[in-house]
Amino acid sequence: MPTAASSTDRWRAVADVGHLVRFRVSSVRWGPLLAGALLFGVLTVGAAVIPAHLDGAGGAGRAFDVTLLLPTVLAGFVLLAAVAAASSAGGRELLAREPAAIHPISPTTDHLGALLLAPFNVAWLVQGWLLLGITAFAVGLDGLVWAQAIAVAWILTATALGQLLAWALEAIRRTRHGILAVRLAALVLCASVVALHLTDRLVDLLDRLPTRWVLLAMLEEGPTLRWLVTLLGTLAVAIVLVVAGAYPAHLAARRPSRDEARVEAESFRPRRDAASDLGTLVRIDRGSVWRAVPMRRGLFVMALGPTLVALLGGLEWSMMTVLPGLVAAGGALLYGVNAWSLDQRGALWRESLPVSPAVVFDARAYVLAEFLVLASLGTLVVAGLRAGIPSPTEVVLLLATLVVVTVQVVGAAMRWSASAPYAVDLRSARSTPAPPAVMLTYALTLALTTTCTGILFSALAELGRWDLALLAAVAMLAWSAERLLRTRRGWLDPAERARVVLAVSA
Amino acid sequence: MADPSVDVRALSVHFGPVAAVDGVDLTAEAGQSAALLGRNGAGKSTTMRVLAGVVPPTSGFVQVAGWDVRSHPLRVKQAVGYCPDVGGLVPRATPWEHLQLAARLRRMRDWQPRARTMLERFGLDEVAHRVTAGFSHGMGRRLSVVLAAWHDPEVLLLDEPFDGVDPIGVEATLEVVSDARARGACVIVSTHLRELAVQACTTVSVLRGGARVATVPADEMLGEEGARAYRGLLD
Repeated sequence: MPTAASSTDRWRAVADVGHLVRFRVSSVRWGPLLAGALLFGVLTVGAAVIPAHLDGAGGAGRAFDVTLLLPTVLAGFVLLAAVAAASSAGGRELLAREPAAIHPISPTTDHLGALLLAPFNVAWLVQGWLLLGITAFAVGLDGLVWAQAIAVAWILTATALGQLLAWALEAIRRTRHGILAVRLAALVLCASVVALHLTDRLVDLLDRLPTRWVLLAMLEEGPTLRWLVTLLGTLAVAIVLVVAGAYPAHLAARRPSRDEARVEAESFRPRRDAASDLGTLVRIDRGSVWRAVPMRRGLFVMALGPTLVALLGGLEWSMMTVLPGLVAAGGALLYGVNAWSLDQRGALWRESLPVSPAVVFDARAYVLAEFLVLASLGTLVVAGLRAGIPSPTEVVLLLATLVVVTVQVVGAAMRWSASAPYAVDLRSARSTPAPPAVMLTYALTLALTTTCTGILFSALAELGRWDLALLAAVAMLAWSAERLLRTRRGWLDPAERARVVLAVSA
Repeated sequence: MADPSVDVRALSVHFGPVAAVDGVDLTAEAGQSAALLGRNGAGKSTTMRVLAGVVPPTSGFVQVAGWDVRSHPLRVKQAVGYCPDVGGLVPRATPWEHLQLAARLRRMRDWQPRARTMLERFGLDEVAHRVTAGFSHGMGRRLSVVLAAWHDPEVLLLDEPFDGVDPIGVEATLEVVSDARARGACVIVSTHLRELAVQACTTVSVLRGGARVATVPADEMLGEEGARAYRGLLD
């Protein structure tokens, strides 16, 4: 049995990606799509250029320290691309499983589609901008264009390698003892990193990473031979990896996913009746979230990335204020931006139950907030293991950031859930709560808002101004809470509610 | 004479420029079962959703169990049991959790024995604690009928209850309709299956293009003659 497509099939698969993209784009409103693309362009160019204009950029001081970090950041991007794709069982789908089932879509098309959708992920975006920003600060204005060309080529290659690794992991996971094998391998890998770190050998290892060759090409201040060879070599490797990725994609496609089957065959022990309507609704919503494969896998990864960065990078408490925002944004993108879709076709029945719509809204918002807070707190606790005991000011600042970004993200997610509801099946780890183009706009907006909030509180922490931080927190909370309450008032309107319910149950 | 359990006059439902229902009249008494028949897009499911308090009417008068759906939607929801046409189940909740939620919100005490009996009657007792995402279409339909009927509502609304259901499930659903009528409830069944509609109901209303075109006694829709009459009303 062949494990991958022939050359003819491969070209057909490429053509099919075009058909699917056109199909998806045709159902998206052009306004938000163009706004998302524009925002993406502005932020990317900003990340690639602005740091080069900062004081000390390209110099021998802080810029040199940052330059030393670049090989690790380059390698880290591969890890992130692999983990992000693996968390969604090989990557996102151009067309959801149910509507795709009737079409002859090959695993190669699926693989190429997943590659195309890789940037539609908040972790990928933030890491990509970070890499471009660090590169810009390290090299300064001289040679910026040449260095960024290598950085972009590396991002493409790392994404292709990550995708290949993710398909391979998924193919293994779908074997009989695959889940156990992958978990053991992940555990061994994590334990090895921790052991290396504890024995002070991690830095040596990172210094010997082959990515230092990429750095050397980045530091060339013009199109030298080394630069050209590295650029073309990196792009050639990317093409090879894209082609090779189809092999494990075919392997994975032939094996049924065990995660969904396991949840659907599991018997859940009945619990005692809850004491209130709100408690009952919270319980059923919580089940809908925590029993969903994409939410469990996705949240683990969303928390893992920042945790590793914080743990290995030895972040100080004052710098950790960016973590809750990143984790909350990632968590909301798993389902929160289309929160009413949790019920899918059950929304019609639920809407026929005699309960105040305000209580239904409160339960949904509470469960989302709880989901985000738990992930953020988990990240902070692990990341703080190396940071020592925080000062009272740092504790206040972190808590203020946590509360502010949670209310910000819940407010935005509930607002989008009501204004643009979609009927989606969140059974598969590959599913997303909204179409890819919409997800990109959501990801950009959330990443921007929460990162800015985190940076503001980080700056206030550096200054030791907990009083100003509290003032800022109160103002931001008031703004976000008012927007959340406005969405709640909208939900109380029967016609608005019917629109949402009919959309998610379609 | 007492007010009808379901009283619909000149009901219209518009979604933007689209008129899903355009001037439907419908009356059903307590102890009566009425069928809604019609082609796809005739407005049957939208009418059922209005009666269940899920979709507000754009215009017209709709009263269910004596309550106006526009001004007293919560009262209407307390009085009805609704089986939606599509799915109608929360995918990652178990049948038992669905029943627990409904029992809590409907203030039902000692609901567990009744829940067990209904699940057994519909052959769902073995899967009571498994999430519904793994259910077949027929199992989902059967559970939706259980959820609509188990609290003995004054008005039972069944939208496509026989769709994809095996003969035992069909029999159990017909029993549910019969029991509901016997205790004085009003039953509205929306279906494509004329023969089963005739079997389950006393009257049949045919909808076309969002409006009611006829209401006849169920036996007039029986057999070949009934099929011809129905066909004539659809064209």
